[in-house]
Amino acid sequence: MTTLEAARAVGPGLDRVDAPMKVTGKAHYPNDFGYPGLVHAALVHSTVAAGRIRGIDTSAAETAPGVQAVITHLTAPRLEPGPMTLLGASPPTPFQDDRILHHGQHIAIVVASSPEQARHAASLVRVDYERSEPLLDVHDPRATVVENPWGLDSDRGDVDAGFAAADVVVGGTFTTPDNTNNPLGLMSTVASWNGDSLTVHDSTQWPHNVRATLAAVFKVPESGIRVLAPYVGGGFGAGLRVWPHVILTVLAARQVGKPVKLVLTRPEMFTSVGHRPDSVQQIRIGATRAGDLTAITHEGLSSVAMEDDDYEPVSLCSAVSYACPNVRTQDRQVRLNIPCPGSMRGPAEGQGNFALESALDELAHELGMDPVELRLRNYCEEHPLLGLPWSSKALRDCYLQGAERFGWSRRDPRPGSMRDGRWLVGYGMAGVSYPHYQVPCQARASLHRDGSADVRSAATDIGTGTYTIMTQLSAEQLGLDVSRVHFDLGDSDMPYAPQAGGSGLTSALGNAVGAACRNLIREFLDVVKDDADSPLRGAAPDEVSVSGGRIHRTGAPDQGESYTDILTRHGLEELSADGRSTPPQPDGGGMATAGAFGAKFVEVRVDPDLGLLRVARVVSAIDGGRILNEKTATSQIVGGTVGGIGQAMFEETATDPGTGRIANATFGDYLVAVNADVPDMEVIFVGGPDRATPIGTKGVGEVGLVGVAAAVANAVHHATGRRIRSLPITIDQLL
Amino acid sequence: MPRNRGAMTQVDAAGATSTGAAPEVPQVEVTLTVNDTEHHLRLDSRVTLLDALRDHLGLTGAKKGCDQGACGACTVMADGKRVVACLALAAQYEGRRITTIEGLAPNGELHPMQAAFARHDAFQCGYCTPGQIMSAVSLVAEGRAGSEEDIREFMSGNLCRCGAYPNIRAAIRDALAEG
Repeated sequence: MTTLEAARAVGPGLDRVDAPMKVTGKAHYPNDFGYPGLVHAALVHSTVAAGRIRGIDTSAAETAPGVQAVITHLTAPRLEPGPMTLLGASPPTPFQDDRILHHGQHIAIVVASSPEQARHAASLVRVDYERSEPLLDVHDPRATVVENPWGLDSDRGDVDAGFAAADVVVGGTFTTPDNTNNPLGLMSTVASWNGDSLTVHDSTQWPHNVRATLAAVFKVPESGIRVLAPYVGGGFGAGLRVWPHVILTVLAARQVGKPVKLVLTRPEMFTSVGHRPDSVQQIRIGATRAGDLTAITHEGLSSVAMEDDDYEPVSLCSAVSYACPNVRTQDRQVRLNIPCPGSMRGPAEGQGNFALESALDELAHELGMDPVELRLRNYCEEHPLLGLPWSSKALRDCYLQGAERFGWSRRDPRPGSMRDGRWLVGYGMAGVSYPHYQVPCQARASLHRDGSADVRSAATDIGTGTYTIMTQLSAEQLGLDVSRVHFDLGDSDMPYAPQAGGSGLTSALGNAVGAACRNLIREFLDVVKDDADSPLRGAAPDEVSVSGGRIHRTGAPDQGESYTDILTRHGLEELSADGRSTPPQPDGGGMATAGAFGAKFVEVRVDPDLGLLRVARVVSAIDGGRILNEKTATSQIVGGTVGGIGQAMFEETATDPGTGRIANATFGDYLVAVNADVPDMEVIFVGGPDRATPIGTKGVGEVGLVGVAAAVANAVHHATGRRIRSLPITIDQLL
Repeated sequence: MPRNRGAMTQVDAAGATSTGAAPEVPQVEVTLTVNDTEHHLRLDSRVTLLDALRDHLGLTGAKKGCDQGACGACTVMADGKRVVACLALAAQYEGRRITTIEGLAPNGELHPMQAAFARHDAFQCGYCTPGQIMSAVSLVAEGRAGSEEDIREFMSGNLCRCGAYPNIRAAIRDALAEG
């Protein structure tokens, strides 16, 4: 491999390359785009959760001012299903029959000259329903239960024998509510047809998925569809799938023959783009008096929509986090008349970790053992299911360095023993073993005669820092200053990229970018291989280094020349190369590919008279492999922690048990963490490059969130002696 | 820096998206002074200040995050005071001086608060950022950024779902220190 001499491009704190666009309001999000002749759409929703549409009267809407079309299941053309994707089957194609499967289901789309006219006309649509009794409760005996939905249930050793051998057994029922992703950007679609070709601006985390889905649904070639998402107003999973409103906007644009914009309302964001489903979890942990785990059972029960899928293996974390000989994990899903759940930052892990890490805290308390010591005692050096060493694992350093930074040794283990004036003080911690995820990705790199580089891939930067870290990585790989590199993304005409999700994009894209850059250097060496004027004549890729815009023979900086000189002498304007990455195979390398690891240390304050809970401090120690930019990676962890504080203390989507209507679908009613709720935080990165891929990264988008809820709950127990097994932790639970 | 790209046009300042509503929709004449430029608009009376800026004047910096006055993404200044533009009808702002993120600093330059936000990584997706910056600038101008507690409290009307709050506070402290 080509030697990289100037590693300064990667590492500490480059400001985001897109910062000037974002602080000046010039970054254009999907709903900032318009076209001449643009018209506007509004949606009509079901006000029942189950049944059929007996009749739908659109006459008043159709004659309202400015209205250009009202489309319902009666007037919509037959559309095809979306394709199978990495995330499973596509959501059901809308408007194909009269059935109602959940409250808030889109049942009509109105197109008018202005948004005001469209909204008003939508309010005029009258619907006659044949109602059925909705299934809304995971415990409803009439509901269909799907056993082992992903084939990931696990059973090792003999759990009965393990519990029989235990001196102490802890556990119980843990519950987590529905949470709603609620990215601040209202998810929006602007669709413009030109004959059979289509341009779509969409709040997506995966432009190629939008392109493939629209091609399948509308039976047009993918080559005629361009999906653009240069900036997306967050996602947290809500933009992973091609939801029905995207298809409806494209359909409306075709129907009226004009570009159409649809901006979801905040209430629609609760019913249209997925959510973290509720969970009911039974967990039991057995251990010897010395603190060795002898058995774990963890059963997860989650809700899912009637006719859609969601990947949410809640109990899996208990199978892969600790060295325990006897472990059984099981998941079930219950089909209900609810909007379809979908991934929300840290899917499954966010719920499962709360139960596992809370139960371990109970165990530590029962044993009179320090919670950090208990985790170290049961540390797994190998992947418990694969029996292979991890490609990297610095979780031990997370525990130790995090505890040191936090001042964990000052913790008096007796609950209620630490005070600050009227406030009870609690210290709590939790560990995280985040799963590895990586899928194939492509990128293209070009070097121009002026010595600048363009690198691109159809990925998205949903706030993750992708623009910035890929600029840095490209600069490093090509030996250029970052100011000479332009990295671009968010356009389905660029090389294929997978979703910004599963904490998997940085490694997938980084390795594709790395491959493209290495191939590009090879192209340059190929150009000069017989060039008598080149000091690089005949050099092989593993004999050269790059730095300062030049390729030179390794160890001999004088024996080289600049990219510009090579291109100029050979009359070339530029050279380009493609690169691709594929996921590392666990068995191939004799190791288990590792995701990120982390340890969270939280200090809470509880007012015992008023039940007030405040998070006072958080220290996160993270093994994220190689960190490409400490500034943006720290922001990922801090942001994840804020999401975790929301999960722990505030967030709960409330569904009316009678009607299935979401009763708090606004930012006034669905509470998220605000500035005053969030303390300053410390983030430390430990470990080093992961061995599984050349770039050595591990994704850090989700490990920041997972573990926070358990750490807060454990700190609450330490402060008050109360074990809270139900999220969010609210005042009524602390009085 | 990433470029905006593609064949699309942004909503143009001539109001390309307002296609002349049918006569039965009440229209209002509104004069708004936005970033020191006077605009005469004929609008559907239901148009909010936010939609007037975004859809009719092509100033898309102010963002729509809830349309219910609960998230602060649409924060602009009217005569130097913060307003959530989604809860204001454009017609109510006849003759008022509106400042948006686009008017905070001359083109090509950054206001000290904008520079501080960039330096401190006080955003991630960037969607709430124009509103956060407008609130932060107002906070300082109003003399309400005197303590850490004040900053935390008075910035709590601007939601950031990416969770950049600690960095937002650091940026405001830094901009304050710069004077």
